Amino acid sequence: MAAAVTPSGDPQSIPALLMRNAATMGGRPAFREKEFGIWQSWTWAETAEEVRNIARGLMVLGLNPGDHVAIIGRNRPALYWSMIAIQMCGAVPVPLYQDAVADEMAYVLEHSGARFVIAADQEQVDKVLEVQSRVPGIEQILYHDKRGLRKYDHAALTWLEDIARDGSAAQQRVDAELDARMAVLGPDSKCVMLYTSGTTGTPKGVVLSNRNVIETAKAGAAFEGLTPDEDVLAYLPMAWAGDYIFSIAQAHVVGFCVNCPESTQTMMTDLREIGPTYFFATPRVYEGQLTSVMIRMEDAGRMKKWLFHTFMDHARKVGGRILDGETVSFADRLKYRLGDLLVYGPLKNTLGYSRIRVGYTAGEAIGPEIFEFYRALGINLKQLYGQTEATVLVAGHPNGQVRPDTVGVAWPGVELRIDDKGEVFYRSPGTFVEYYKNPEATAATKDAEGWVATGDAGYFVEGLGHLRIIDRVKDVGKLSSGQMFAPKYVENKLKFYPGILEAVLFGNGRDYCTAFLNIDLTAVGNWAERNNISYTSYQELAGHPKVLEMMQSHVEEVNASLADDPMLAGCQIKRFLVLHKELDADDGELTRTRKVRRNIIASKYEDLIEALYSGAPEVSTRTEVSYEDGRKGFISATLTLREAKVFPATPSRREAA
Amino acid sequence: MAQAYSTEGWITADGRKIGPVLMEMKNITLRFGGVKAITDISFDIREGEIRAIIGPNGAGKSSMLNVISGFYVPQEGEVWFRGAKRPPMKPYEVARQGIARTFQNIALFEGMSVLDNIMTGRLTMMETNLAQQALWWGKAAREEEEHRAAVERIIDFLEIQHIRKTPVGRLPYGLKKRVELARALAAEPKLLLLDEPMAGMNVEEKEDMCRFILDVNDEFGTTIALIEHDMGVVMDLSDRVVVMDYGKKIGDGPPDDIRSNKAVIDAYLGVSHE
Amino acid sequence: MSDTILYAMEVTLNGLMAGVLYALVALGFVLIFKASGIFNYAQGVMALFAALTLVGIQNGQIPFSHLINAMFGTQLHHFGWKVPAVLAILLTALVMVGLAILVERYVLKHLVNQEPIILFMATIGLAYFMEGFGDVMWGADIKKLDVGIPQGMSETVDQLTYNLFGYGFFIDTLDIVAAVVAVILVVTLTLFSQYSKQGRALRAVADDHQAALSVGISLRFIWVLTWSIAGFVALVAGIMWGSKSGVQFSLSLIALKALPVLMLGGFTSIPGAIVGGLIIGVGEKLFEFFIGPMIGGATENWFAYVLALLFLVFRPQGLFGDRIIERV
Repeated sequence: MAAAVTPSGDPQSIPALLMRNAATMGGRPAFREKEFGIWQSWTWAETAEEVRNIARGLMVLGLNPGDHVAIIGRNRPALYWSMIAIQMCGAVPVPLYQDAVADEMAYVLEHSGARFVIAADQEQVDKVLEVQSRVPGIEQILYHDKRGLRKYDHAALTWLEDIARDGSAAQQRVDAELDARMAVLGPDSKCVMLYTSGTTGTPKGVVLSNRNVIETAKAGAAFEGLTPDEDVLAYLPMAWAGDYIFSIAQAHVVGFCVNCPESTQTMMTDLREIGPTYFFATPRVYEGQLTSVMIRMEDAGRMKKWLFHTFMDHARKVGGRILDGETVSFADRLKYRLGDLLVYGPLKNTLGYSRIRVGYTAGEAIGPEIFEFYRALGINLKQLYGQTEATVLVAGHPNGQVRPDTVGVAWPGVELRIDDKGEVFYRSPGTFVEYYKNPEATAATKDAEGWVATGDAGYFVEGLGHLRIIDRVKDVGKLSSGQMFAPKYVENKLKFYPGILEAVLFGNGRDYCTAFLNIDLTAVGNWAERNNISYTSYQELAGHPKVLEMMQSHVEEVNASLADDPMLAGCQIKRFLVLHKELDADDGELTRTRKVRRNIIASKYEDLIEALYSGAPEVSTRTEVSYEDGRKGFISATLTLREAKVFPATPSRREAA
Repeated sequence: MAQAYSTEGWITADGRKIGPVLMEMKNITLRFGGVKAITDISFDIREGEIRAIIGPNGAGKSSMLNVISGFYVPQEGEVWFRGAKRPPMKPYEVARQGIARTFQNIALFEGMSVLDNIMTGRLTMMETNLAQQALWWGKAAREEEEHRAAVERIIDFLEIQHIRKTPVGRLPYGLKKRVELARALAAEPKLLLLDEPMAGMNVEEKEDMCRFILDVNDEFGTTIALIEHDMGVVMDLSDRVVVMDYGKKIGDGPPDDIRSNKAVIDAYLGVSHE
Repeated sequence: MSDTILYAMEVTLNGLMAGVLYALVALGFVLIFKASGIFNYAQGVMALFAALTLVGIQNGQIPFSHLINAMFGTQLHHFGWKVPAVLAILLTALVMVGLAILVERYVLKHLVNQEPIILFMATIGLAYFMEGFGDVMWGADIKKLDVGIPQGMSETVDQLTYNLFGYGFFIDTLDIVAAVVAVILVVTLTLFSQYSKQGRALRAVADDHQAALSVGISLRFIWVLTWSIAGFVALVAGIMWGSKSGVQFSLSLIALKALPVLMLGGFTSIPGAIVGGLIIGVGEKLFEFFIGPMIGGATENWFAYVLALLFLVFRPQGLFGDRIIERV
């Protein structure tokens, strides 16, 4: 089997890496997936054979070098294999978000000009069929799960296993051509195209080369000392650059095993069973787990509660320091050991973090309390800072230098620069090739010297050299008084309370700040049950006076802490309301990665914002919602607006304490 | 679309095969004391079809289902199953003949896990005796594994992997309905009876349930008889529909015929039921 | 080690042994309650009846001999043979299965879907019937039961503890045997109910009758099975208690001791019955040992009930019982 290698013998493409792994560590596990209640596993040798068969089948189907092939579905080995098989044929995989609605899907399919679409199951096939009339370029749909598709018209619809079978049969005929195509894949060949989630405007197709992907993966693997013994859990959207780097690029570069959950809903159970050593999760996942631990503790017996709180307090005191390798007294170490036996160990086991060596979080800033909770338990949780355009990695925490309020230092090979407006720029081997069919956007983002604007405002922390990100450049603003307005910072503080799922702060150009809050149905529902508060709907619970009181106390606590910081004292929330519906990506209020879309929310709920600034005690509103099946409806509500206590800025307080 | 009816069955528009008669009800009359719940009703259920029994509340649909599943014994009439007249039977004997059912108000084993619940669906198919089980002889162990594998396929099919180990009592309503369907499926029934499978569900759950019913029929070729008072759902789902009102049959035929049937329209819209 | 601690240890051990016997009786209650929701008042009498039958069969006694003698003026007493203990136990077990079948056919079958209180009343009737029937069948005299279980102080324990502490514990060998038998019984029952087909069916019936019917489980078979098992457990309890204190009417009163055990352990939990039995056994012995002398002794008569009462106030579902949650 021929594959292009560098003079030093290093494979230069993902398919070449696969062939190397099959040859050098063929018997080691490459992929696992839980199916029918049992973990099935495939070695590198088996994986290579599966991938080659799919690739051969795609050749028979007429896939040409340079073609785009869309992939839609949850993380399953067969879909990962398909991605590599596509690359093997010289074509480019384009993974799509599986929860994208038909319209979003249509845009990406149209824009990428995909000839083939590989869809996981009936649900995804239905979506593709729905948009097919608008997207004429689609020639064939391939699917993995047969279920429910038997009766469909199979003129342009084929089962993936049939493709692989046909491929296997055509081995003699196509192998020479396949090897030839693989051999020409070099560092500058297109590796993958990933669409940005569209936080700002329409999604853009980020083209990454083999060099981008492999160099970045290698740098990360060396930085963390990854070995073939790692286990990762592949559960984040396949369309997200991070999943491509962790579950494909690094897995292939290092040769570790990728584990796929049984279904999206079993993720937590599967996490516990696999016990990954190398793990990535959004702050939301960590936060959700912490919330569920806290809720369980509320219901636990007195003894258990006491044990938990006593040892967690101790862990918060010394756990992080032990992890950072600082000196800690023998007595404290002993007590920490005891705590590990009684509390941390069992807790880590239930969370699925018993074996974890490196845990990453990124995407949104993580609440310092959440971050410290996991570090205290001895989980080496670090922040990552990056974006698709950089092949994910821009900055990160080196071991022993983890600070919850920074995103660490520049990743190996990455250069960082901050311009006079405070915007962060980077240049690295991972810097993307281009935005597909969008040279203007490419030029606007990447200058001639290769510097890329991140759109984030930040600065280097004095004395530490770590980068600290405050907010999006365009979101940082000023109040009418000229004081700084940094919404994300305040929202993150609010979101640490288990009862608050989402917060949106307003105040740019205004006299004072106001906020929308979203309750966390699980946490608040639980709290309501314990306090004998009955409710029939989300809306009723969200508007309950007792809930509003609780929210008010949270807001006032945040205000008090903001008053401590002279820079941000102006961001205190004077009036707020609790929204009658959960902010939802289906309604366009959040991105698919669950980031708040501030402008859309501001225009959609203009009446509510006006009411907040008018001083009215309550406001009636009518909101459009979309159901999961795509239909739309309206909900009406009368919301109570609350006034929160605002504190004078007390810069001296911290020094006095 | 007009269908060519024959005793041997026919092929539906979407390519499914409807076979010969599986179960036939002949002139069934059921009384509770002086009250007639069912009056002289006859109809048949064919292999591979989805057969709906619809009617307004109190029309006698549930009574009919209970007659089929052996919970009620009719005073008059005959029940024919797989070409033979069925003597009066206890519900458990009917179940062992290959007729599985679900209940309108869900009858699950609340204290047991989802997995255990579904496993009970296979109780009648287990063959090893107590002594073999006690010693966990090869056959007993193998049998347990086979049944477990079959149950896992159903769990996968109905997408309830995430609640495999959860006690049923803790599940929300919609999932309980799905678990009950899973338990009935586990028995690999020749005839699956669904008692208002969509009752009390929201639109989304109803759509899911519809998909599951169609998929069960499609993938396993299971004959399904379901009762429902919501006409809309049934019309998209079923091959043939029996309409009942006040214990009498007022219509029987493919959904399109039923939709235009005068008596049916009256029963649902025109004539009040007080 | 001080003498008091040693005495207390001995008392605790004896309490554990007594507790095992309470647990055995309570177990019979739990089994039937779980499967059919019936509180079987006749469980104690079943133990008496089983013991009477066992002695009768062992000694080759002619059933109903008093009745026959009174009616026909005969002088029949015994067949004149002795039946070996093992065989007699097997035969008695068969009699208990027969009893279960009769109970199902003539009592339960007619009471399907009745209120629990009606079923409870039926078991009271059953208790009096069986008591009288047992008397008529085997005679009302106190009988000695001996199936070959060694009795008296265990030399081994005595020796062992003497070597360890310099003080030999007095433990009855019978109690040790009873404890071992009880453990075996509980393990077997648990395995049976968790892993066997019939056990799964049994749990299913206990949970929901209608659902059980719909998956093809015969309720009648399950009831016969449960009552047979309860009968078998009664037989074991009868053997142990009978060997200890003779087979006599008071044996049926051990059912009353099982009540506090059930309140402690919960009516629906097999482990609950065991733990409850042990707590009551140890509790009443220790209470008698430490507090008894201060308040004039004989605390064993009431201690268990007071403890149960306290439990009813603070944890009505028992230690292991299903939690009762009324949703508002």
